Amino acid sequence: MKIFGNKKTSTQVLDTDPSKNSSSMATKQVRYEALVKALHGDLYRFAYWLTHDKQVSEDLVQETFLRAWRALDSLKDEKAAKSWLITILRRENARRFERKRFDMSEYEEASIMDTQSTTTEQVIENQWLRGKIAQLPPEYSEPLVLQVLGGYSGEDIASMLNLNKNTVMTRLFRARNQLKDALEKEPGKMRLLHE
Amino acid sequence: MNNNHTNDSDMSKIDNPTNSMDDLQYRRSIYADPTSQAEDIIAAQNADPAKKRLAHELYLFDEQLKEAMSIPVPDDLCNKLLLRQTLASHQQEKRKSRVHLALAASVAIVAGLVVNYLQFSNSYTNLGDYALAHVYHEEDKFFNSDNNRVNLATLNKKMASFNGSFNQSLGQLISADYCRFDGMKSLHLVYQGLTDTVAVFIVPKKEHLAFTDKFSDNKLQGESLGFKDANVLVVADKNESLEVWQRAISDNITWSI
Repeated sequence: MKIFGNKKTSTQVLDTDPSKNSSSMATKQVRYEALVKALHGDLYRFAYWLTHDKQVSEDLVQETFLRAWRALDSLKDEKAAKSWLITILRRENARRFERKRFDMSEYEEASIMDTQSTTTEQVIENQWLRGKIAQLPPEYSEPLVLQVLGGYSGEDIASMLNLNKNTVMTRLFRARNQLKDALEKEPGKMRLLHE
Repeated sequence: MNNNHTNDSDMSKIDNPTNSMDDLQYRRSIYADPTSQAEDIIAAQNADPAKKRLAHELYLFDEQLKEAMSIPVPDDLCNKLLLRQTLASHQQEKRKSRVHLALAASVAIVAGLVVNYLQFSNSYTNLGDYALAHVYHEEDKFFNSDNNRVNLATLNKKMASFNGSFNQSLGQLISADYCRFDGMKSLHLVYQGLTDTVAVFIVPKKEHLAFTDKFSDNKLQGESLGFKDANVLVVADKNESLEVWQRAISDNITWSI
């Protein structure tokens, strides 16, 4: 009986102003579609650098947007949409870890590389660099991806990752430092720095 | 975490005799944010061309990183996301409407059962009792003085569904209408009688009402006449001769096969 009671109140709310409700539903749809179109690429890439797995990234992005749809009314400022979505995605990723302990040794460098047949020099170098980025400890690669791909400032990243800014800046320094060290060990790749 | 090995590399920078403490600080800052526009960073770059070069180098490196990080996004991902949302909210709607439909269906079933119970329940055990009750029920509907007349053709049209017809009129027919005779579709004829109306029922033969030859109460009397497919009942007040009516019906009615 209680369930029926709840239903009744919800239909009463609907009945009081059906036009308003359906139009806000349409607005929600428009907002959602705009978010998906504008940000799915960024989200996917961010997911990829978190998980190093294309399929898992797709699933993660789908789950993220589905949750975003349900909670869309809580997003007041469209400018904050991207960091809002990233926060949801990071939480979803953490949930995934709870479900199944992810073994870091499971993936190999080869699996994170693109197997593209058009092997121009640029593509080869990108692949090499991708491998190196993927080898960074996640606590270094995550702020780096947010900074380089997401265009976020140190303060932004600090608040998104729940860290203080000095920690973030140190990790960013170490991330670049490790990548440059790797680069300097392979003289053939030095044109990445100087071209 | 991971502090040990990275501290090693930091230490090597400090140990390098060509780097002053300032250089290290600059290094740390510019590595952390190559596009930094902080005042002390800009000032250090203007004072030392090597620092400016390092900043530019790191800027280019960032461009490379960005390109490497920009892995291709699956073409269909956007459509998948939109489709999945549409399906998800459609499912939700469907669940809602399914609940409503189920509720509506339950109400309809209950209503149907109640109506069925009220209308088709066999509350009388024999034809006579029911016929009397029926006549009393419609007592106020027909009066012996009514001038309405139903002609023979109209009557026989209605009789057709009982496979019967009247050869000629039994008398002044006030009304001829189908009615529910204890749940059975029957024909209810109302004739003008001597002092009050005479009711004639054409009722299909069913087992659940026992055939009663003669029946009466303190006011009305009735007689049943069994034919092959139907019973014909006459109900009238005590002034009527039912025998006359019964004979007239038997002589007049023709049953088709």
